[in-house]
Amino acid sequence: MKILAVDTSCDETSASVCENDRVLSNIISSQVDLHKKWRGVVPIIAKRAHQERINPVIELALKRARVKVDDIDIFAVTIGPGLAIALEVGIKKIKELSIKYKKPLVLVNHMEGHVYSNLVKNSKGNYYNNLKKIEFPILCVLVSGGHTEMVLMKDHGNYEILGQTLDDAVGEAFDKVARPLMLGYPGGPIIEEFAKRGNHERFKLPIPMQRRNDYNFSYSGLKTECVVRLKKLKKELNKNFTNIVPDFCASFQKTVSDSILFKVKKVVKKYKPKQVLLGGGVIANNYIKREFRKEMKKLNVNTIVPSKKLCGDNAMMIGVCAYYKIKKKEFVKNLEKVDRLPNLQIDQKVGY
Amino acid sequence: MDIIKLSDTIQEEIINRCIDTLNSGGLVVYPTETCYGIAADPTSQKAVDKLLNYKKKREGKAISVAVSDKKMAKEYVEINEIAENIYNNYLPGPITVVSKSKGKVVKKVEADDGTLGIRIPKYSLILELIKQFGKPITATSANESYKKTPYTVKNILDNISKKQQNLIDLIIDAGKLPKNKPSTVINTTLNEIKILREGDVNLKSPKTFISKSERETKRLANELLKNINIGKKPIIFALQGELGTGKTQFTKGLAKSLGIKQNIRSPTFFLVREYNIKEKNLKFLHLDTYRMFEQEEFVDLGFENMIKQPNIIVIEWAEKVSKILREIKDSVELIWIKFEYQGKNTRKIKYSNEIL
Repeated sequence: MKILAVDTSCDETSASVCENDRVLSNIISSQVDLHKKWRGVVPIIAKRAHQERINPVIELALKRARVKVDDIDIFAVTIGPGLAIALEVGIKKIKELSIKYKKPLVLVNHMEGHVYSNLVKNSKGNYYNNLKKIEFPILCVLVSGGHTEMVLMKDHGNYEILGQTLDDAVGEAFDKVARPLMLGYPGGPIIEEFAKRGNHERFKLPIPMQRRNDYNFSYSGLKTECVVRLKKLKKELNKNFTNIVPDFCASFQKTVSDSILFKVKKVVKKYKPKQVLLGGGVIANNYIKREFRKEMKKLNVNTIVPSKKLCGDNAMMIGVCAYYKIKKKEFVKNLEKVDRLPNLQIDQKVGY
Repeated sequence: MDIIKLSDTIQEEIINRCIDTLNSGGLVVYPTETCYGIAADPTSQKAVDKLLNYKKKREGKAISVAVSDKKMAKEYVEINEIAENIYNNYLPGPITVVSKSKGKVVKKVEADDGTLGIRIPKYSLILELIKQFGKPITATSANESYKKTPYTVKNILDNISKKQQNLIDLIIDAGKLPKNKPSTVINTTLNEIKILREGDVNLKSPKTFISKSERETKRLANELLKNINIGKKPIIFALQGELGTGKTQFTKGLAKSLGIKQNIRSPTFFLVREYNIKEKNLKFLHLDTYRMFEQEEFVDLGFENMIKQPNIIVIEWAEKVSKILREIKDSVELIWIKFEYQGKNTRKIKYSNEIL
């Protein structure tokens, strides 16, 4: 069974052809060629860019998979959450194709896609990561530019949100702290780079939400704390950049990592998941990944991490997630009504 | 196509041949600290066309260029404080710095928004080549767009057509390069607020409130709201102020006063978050222009539709869209609020009907 999946939830236009849960092709316009990727990283409101790119990206995905659009059995698209006007472009295109070729349509939640980024197989049928067997319940920790949440997955398609951010997402906190550090945008990769040469003990930053009993996250307080500290260090920062920035980056990165793990450990102890699955762009951060593995090992839980190329937004995870929905026959019944759901939560059912 | 082996050719000869090729509009494949790149003269239309022909499908992607030092970079882009920091502390190295272009390269090399990516490779032969060439060379990887990053010359030749092979004039073969990641791209233009103030601004004696805590900031939101007639015109709170000065707290205060029970999360990523004000059948819209480049993007968000109903709208970093707000100011209730940092918990909050 061949699936054509499209994701236009934010600033990457992506299309992928899958044979069941195996990826035959995956095209991401803006990310593949990292040398010039800034068009993708910065969301010039994506609508126009998506409109220009969606057709060539789909064509290329088909060509790379050596299939024709007539060969596609099922179409799949991200319905939300995401940037409303960006989602729109992919949905419109896939609806057209589904009508024209008279093939069923499956709608995928983008965050669910990040969960399934761990279950993507290559064309030979091997997982890209260290996953061997799926065992429920699974704790999914999804951390990206727009989301920070912990979700208990009891079965395919069965989710319970245990906690999420009350204000800024982790990826966003990285971007925002990069600003007073004068490091440009996006903040994640460059903070990670500088942190490598820094001493994380030097700046003691408060770990947010430690005193609260719930499993939620919050990063606006930490952000403000960083801004305030850097304001005081402004003179020194201007005079001796290399004396401050690496240490500050390392301290900040450690604090963020500690804050996520603090809550994750609590949840693991209480809910005793069989596996912990990570997903989302921030997971590409090697430090956070390493800390996760280390801490989870202490608790005897296996951590599963998507391969780096599956951390960011991509359509292959949408295709593979669609495959599991197809198995349960979750097809769109009311095609006319299908509309973007920019604020969709992972535990919400899509009723089209 | 000629291939010269780095190991058995003297540097001077390599550089001379590269320069001759570049001057005649040709393409040169060269090694860097990350992967093999392909060089063309970015100021020559003919050379750039040839390069694009080689790279194939680009979908409007820009091409970064390599320079020999900051001084050369300054001739081609405007280097702001952020860029300055990165140049001084991180280059040469695997980072591409995006700045506003001075328009000295061929249009297609720049991004659609007039920015240009610059990199200084940590590879002495290439730095010397650029220095002697006297201008930048393109720094795109030597593969076809969307294909594998090449670390050997074989990688390149195996994955392109005969026609593409014929487009390459010269290859400098340095053998197998260490598999380093492609460069990280950092955009330094995002923090620049393009349209700050235009024309004369009448301050009409703005009021000032000193907030000593988050709670007081929220209370101010409540007070302001009480004095406005909800449901007549759209109400816009245009917020200005640096990170961490209380814009989100203020917004949380507004939402609470409007009876919204949901938690107000940052709209930075999605640009807009929408909440229902149940009693009044209106919407509370929380917008953020932090990541926007142009005022038109704001229109694309569907702003016109938002103000068709008397909704309540909060815009963070509103100075970026001051032009649009000025155009509609007579048909809406517009309140500008500026947050300034004063001390650990103290903020100076000014508000007025005019931009602050």
